[in-house]
Amino acid sequence: MKNLRDVWSSRFMHYIGEVQKYMQFIFTGHIAIVLVFLIGAGGYQYSEWLKAVQTDFPAEIVIAVIIGILLAFSRPTTLLREPDQVYLLPLESKMSQYFNKALAWTFWSQVWIVAIVYIVSIPLLKAVTDLTTTEIWFIFLLVVVLKYISVQGEYSYRYSERGQMVWVDRFIRAVVFAAAVYMGLQAQLLLAIVATVISVIYIVVFRKKSIGEPVPYEHFVKIEHNRMMSFYRFANYFTDVPHLHGSIRRRSWMDWLYKFVPYGKGNAQKYLVFRTFVRTDDHFYLWLRLTAISAVIAAFVDIPVVTWVVAGALSFATTIQLKQALLSSGEFRMDMLYPLPDNARQIAVKQIVRLAMIVQAIIVGLCAMTQPMFYIAVVVVLVISELTAKISK
Amino acid sequence: MSVLEVQHVTGGYTRKPVIKDLSFTIGKGELVGLIGLNGAGKSTTIKHIIGTMLPKGGDIRLNGVTLKEDTDKYRTAFSYIPETPVLYDELTLREHLELTAMAYSIDKATLDARSEVLLKEFRMEKRLNWFPSHFSKGMRQKVMIMCAFLVNPSLYIIDEPFVGLDPLGIQSLLDQMDEKKKEGASILMSTHILSTAEKHCDRIILLHEGRVRAQGTMADLRQSFAMPNATLDDLYIAMTKERDHEELA
Repeated sequence: MKNLRDVWSSRFMHYIGEVQKYMQFIFTGHIAIVLVFLIGAGGYQYSEWLKAVQTDFPAEIVIAVIIGILLAFSRPTTLLREPDQVYLLPLESKMSQYFNKALAWTFWSQVWIVAIVYIVSIPLLKAVTDLTTTEIWFIFLLVVVLKYISVQGEYSYRYSERGQMVWVDRFIRAVVFAAAVYMGLQAQLLLAIVATVISVIYIVVFRKKSIGEPVPYEHFVKIEHNRMMSFYRFANYFTDVPHLHGSIRRRSWMDWLYKFVPYGKGNAQKYLVFRTFVRTDDHFYLWLRLTAISAVIAAFVDIPVVTWVVAGALSFATTIQLKQALLSSGEFRMDMLYPLPDNARQIAVKQIVRLAMIVQAIIVGLCAMTQPMFYIAVVVVLVISELTAKISK
Repeated sequence: MSVLEVQHVTGGYTRKPVIKDLSFTIGKGELVGLIGLNGAGKSTTIKHIIGTMLPKGGDIRLNGVTLKEDTDKYRTAFSYIPETPVLYDELTLREHLELTAMAYSIDKATLDARSEVLLKEFRMEKRLNWFPSHFSKGMRQKVMIMCAFLVNPSLYIIDEPFVGLDPLGIQSLLDQMDEKKKEGASILMSTHILSTAEKHCDRIILLHEGRVRAQGTMADLRQSFAMPNATLDDLYIAMTKERDHEELA
């Protein structure tokens, strides 16, 4: 590594590689098709609504608030890692080279979101305001500039305050940015520029405050960790992500359920697997998500055959994913040493999955109550689940 | 009769063995220290004994049976405290104890009686409903120790037990080990804290490059190295130097 810019470049290449690796799974998955349909349907609804929209619709304020909030979310992408707090420590005074690169990437990787939202709102602006095309594109430029200010601002704030109360900072920035955009949309360009200048002053205050402070490695590393984890968690819906260790929640409102696994030797694995399922977010939300989709379809689609097919497909997906998640055993666990039969865990997983699927079947059945022969949905969920559990490895 | 018999065991991860023709025994009520440099094969030896690795050659018998012959008897015969605590993130301290007790067929009354004593000894009574993510390294270690002592097996296998424990925790562990020894249990302990090993172990096994270099009481070891009055530290350093000389020659 010759200098910190090279450090950034190699980090960046690695990061892009990692993102690409999972992106291909995401975009080849079935959710991608659903997304295309949703965007298409949303676009159609929007264009229909534009035809009928009243001219007194408060478009300026709605757009200003949405854009203001979006602008305020400008979390810096630093790609710092835990060992950096040790190895990069001697380079503290030169870190600005690194952070400049990081902030440039943060800006370019986030600006398109707010840009797209603004561009999508242009037809609405044309429909309900008197803004000229030049003014509209001037405000677009203003939004881009505000995004740049916001990226610098959130970084400076987090740097000087170590991320404490970042929500207050975001709220203040959101208000100022929304005001600037609103003034722009009211064709008060001078006031828009004044609001922009205020936001610059606000940010300069924190920039000044951060001078001389040590790099808040711990905070930035935590942001990176959280960001990668949420990406991995998202990617995990489409493929198996090895880095993922599910977060744990007690969910004490479900404690009464554990009574169904009484104390006793034969129940050791069941005792463990039951708690693993209920308290590991990944497992529990997987079940909850798929059950909710199945239930919503059962409740709102009036064609029984569609309900059955969806219920069957989701029963298959829930069973197979849950089973694999609970059986996966890469690491050493203490129960591998327990004096229990070798297949004890498999049996326990089978029983817990069955229990989860019975509950899913009941929920789907209740939601399908209004349909004739709603009980068939229940039978479909149970039969498909049992078959899946039997056939899958 | 010996509780643990390791006979001519060879094994490792790849085709190149890490431990070579390893033989030793541990008798009833004995505390044996397994001493060696990093990479000498201590952890690999322990993995073979607990059965997460299978020997490529030789036999390991616990209470007279190999893992293959009688899996249940073999597994019930020991409990294991790993070097790095291995806990279930989704279970509370109480649930760790309950799960362990269930797996080893300990009835509820015995569980309650034993865990009360252990919780008090290791000062963890107030943390029964905590999850491991809120525990320090030392507390995690204590959870492992309590689960191991709850089982009351014939053999305790303890890998580097003192790192991370506070002085009171170390004392509690030594007290517990002492008590179990008096009741007739055996202990195999791997450690780098040589002064503690010298003071507490009945016998020492010196492991070097996958082989037993010397074993016996401190007196036996001093004799075998011809270093009267030497401490275990001295013997340990002598052993590593001697090996270096051979390599240079």
